[in-house]
Amino acid sequence: MEKIAKNKIIEDLMPQQFGKQGIIWVISLLVVCAIGFYAYCRQLYYGLEVTALRDYVSWGIYISNFVFFVAISLVGSLITAVLRLTDVHWSTPLTRIAEIIAVSAIAFAGLIIIVDMGRPDRFYNLFTHGRLQSPIIWDVIVITTYLVISLLLLYFPLLPDLKIMIQYKERNGKWLQKLYVFLGSFWKDKPAQFKITEKAIHILSVTIIPVAFAIHTVTSWLFATTYRPGWDSTNFGAYFISGAFLVGAGGVIIAMYVFRTHYKLEKYITDDHFNKMGKVVVLLALIYLYFNINEFLVPAFKMKKSEEEHLMGLFTGEFSPIFWFAISASMLIPILILIFKNGRKPKWAFTAGILVVVGSWFKRYLIVTPTLLHPFLPMHDVPKNYMHYFPTWEEWAIAGGSLAGALLVITFFARIFPIIPIHETITETDYHEKA
Amino acid sequence: MRKHNMILLFVLSVFLMPSMLMAQAIEKNSLSLTLKYFNDNNKTQHLLVQAKSKIDGKFQQIAAIPVQFYIGSEALSENLLGKGITNDKGEALLEIPSQAKAEWLKSPNQNFVVVSEANIKFDEARGDLAITKAKLKIDTLDGRNIIASIVASVDTVWMPVAHVDFVVGVKRFGGLLNVNETQTYTSDSTGMITALFKRDSLPGDQKGNLILVTSVIDNDTYGNLSSEIEVPWGTKLVYTNNFDHRSLFARRGYSPIWLETLAYTIVVAVWAVIIFLVVQIKKIKNLGIE
Repeated sequence: MEKIAKNKIIEDLMPQQFGKQGIIWVISLLVVCAIGFYAYCRQLYYGLEVTALRDYVSWGIYISNFVFFVAISLVGSLITAVLRLTDVHWSTPLTRIAEIIAVSAIAFAGLIIIVDMGRPDRFYNLFTHGRLQSPIIWDVIVITTYLVISLLLLYFPLLPDLKIMIQYKERNGKWLQKLYVFLGSFWKDKPAQFKITEKAIHILSVTIIPVAFAIHTVTSWLFATTYRPGWDSTNFGAYFISGAFLVGAGGVIIAMYVFRTHYKLEKYITDDHFNKMGKVVVLLALIYLYFNINEFLVPAFKMKKSEEEHLMGLFTGEFSPIFWFAISASMLIPILILIFKNGRKPKWAFTAGILVVVGSWFKRYLIVTPTLLHPFLPMHDVPKNYMHYFPTWEEWAIAGGSLAGALLVITFFARIFPIIPIHETITETDYHEKA
Repeated sequence: MRKHNMILLFVLSVFLMPSMLMAQAIEKNSLSLTLKYFNDNNKTQHLLVQAKSKIDGKFQQIAAIPVQFYIGSEALSENLLGKGITNDKGEALLEIPSQAKAEWLKSPNQNFVVVSEANIKFDEARGDLAITKAKLKIDTLDGRNIIASIVASVDTVWMPVAHVDFVVGVKRFGGLLNVNETQTYTSDSTGMITALFKRDSLPGDQKGNLILVTSVIDNDTYGNLSSEIEVPWGTKLVYTNNFDHRSLFARRGYSPIWLETLAYTIVVAVWAVIIFLVVQIKKIKNLGIE
């Protein structure tokens, strides 16, 4: 019985070839990426002139996208590290989903910064002329570190699964078999190997939490160390981290729903997982709402002249439709949906997850752009288009291409590796049966 | 066809007539030229003209007005000193050239005239000025006392002038800082004033020198006069260069030691853990090969 169950788990969780829907999905993403690449080639050829970035708004949707990617990458530490260290076992099927989201997001966060630089050949100047005092250098260091730790956290739990997959040579095909052998042929299920792996995962879980907090705090300092309305806040680190946990959790719910539906994983990603993740999202949305109230109510109460224009622009002015959409979509509506038990059913939770992620993207846009349009000194003697910002098609295409690229990484990972840990699932099933 | 052309001409004339009448009805504003005389440290003299006009009920400075400066009471071509164009502040300046020396020496009093020709917006304008030639001197006495005097030209003799208001100050950031609490001084019958310098520890140049200045400002008879003297009454300016100091705002390689220690410790600690974990992969691999 146990053997059948084990085989059934392996059968269910082994990577599957793309079906018709999968192929359409991949082609769609590739097309978006190709358009983004073409737009980037234009940007390289003509320079940043093809964008709407000018003297005042020098950080547009590229940096909004960067902050969004950094935010969503924080989910790796939440699901994998925080829940693992607190001995929460229900999250086991979600760990690899969270980790691959983290890896792809942080990789594209790094890429989008290079895109924003306009001249990618100058990236090496960061290393040859970088100042240690600059938060930009800290961001470079911490992003690289977080990417490496996330890759290790993805790799160590994958080792026992690689051994399982190597056994299915016929099914894998030549290239995949070669890849599995290269990555994990040395895994022999020896107790000493398990011992080292468990220890390594434990160390990684402890290490990734401060690094993850650092990555988002440092990103917030890119803004908060600049004296400008909307950024001049001592609250920014905590505000960014709480928002990052929320968007990450929303992203995991979306991925859970998509993988569960597409790969028929209802037995492994259950309604209970949506119920629990729904509760996590409500908690995180409430925390983020609390920080938002702090962030906007306190300066609005004082209404200093310099802050007034920026705040009124958000509350009732040019940016008010996006502002209220972002607040409602990323926090208020998901709370209202997920606070009810029926709202935590997969479809409703998925809807709430999409609202969180989309709302959070626009929230990042609102953190970056309106502040840049409200400098302390009035804007004088500049062309009219310098006083407003709306991204050009090249910017939309590149931002869209980067989002599609991150999704492609997740999609191909799920095609190559089991998106739910096979060995851990078998072990936990055995444990429950014995219990 | 000819008939149609005549009708067309008539219609055009009817429609264009109001605009032609309007064009004739445009009123020119009157331009006011104010001329001022400056004697700087008894060495150079210059004239300054200010062009203003009342537009929309307010006096406004008028830029880009070509002006001609003349010495004497008539704007004759042989008296032309030079030309200028008013700047954004409505001002044009002319240093009195050495060629005007002969005319200048003729009399203890001097007249100047400035003229701007009529243009589309303004009628012709003229400004004149009559001054009595005067000199201002500044010197120091024992201690930190300053003495200043004014003499005016009377029948080729320089005579002291009483009841003229002076300011005495020290040059500071492009302006004058009073040497004590007194704002203005009035010359006595000997044409002199005295002032006590009370500004202790005022930063001077690298040798501690300050520049004392005495001025007569906008006097109806003598114009604007000034004279200055350098005195070693300030504190020496020691130039400190913070370029090589370590700070959060310094250049590359000059970050504070505490920041470098903290940052490098964290980086080394975290990457030591990462290297340790990579070594663990190697260990796992060796265990599998055994």
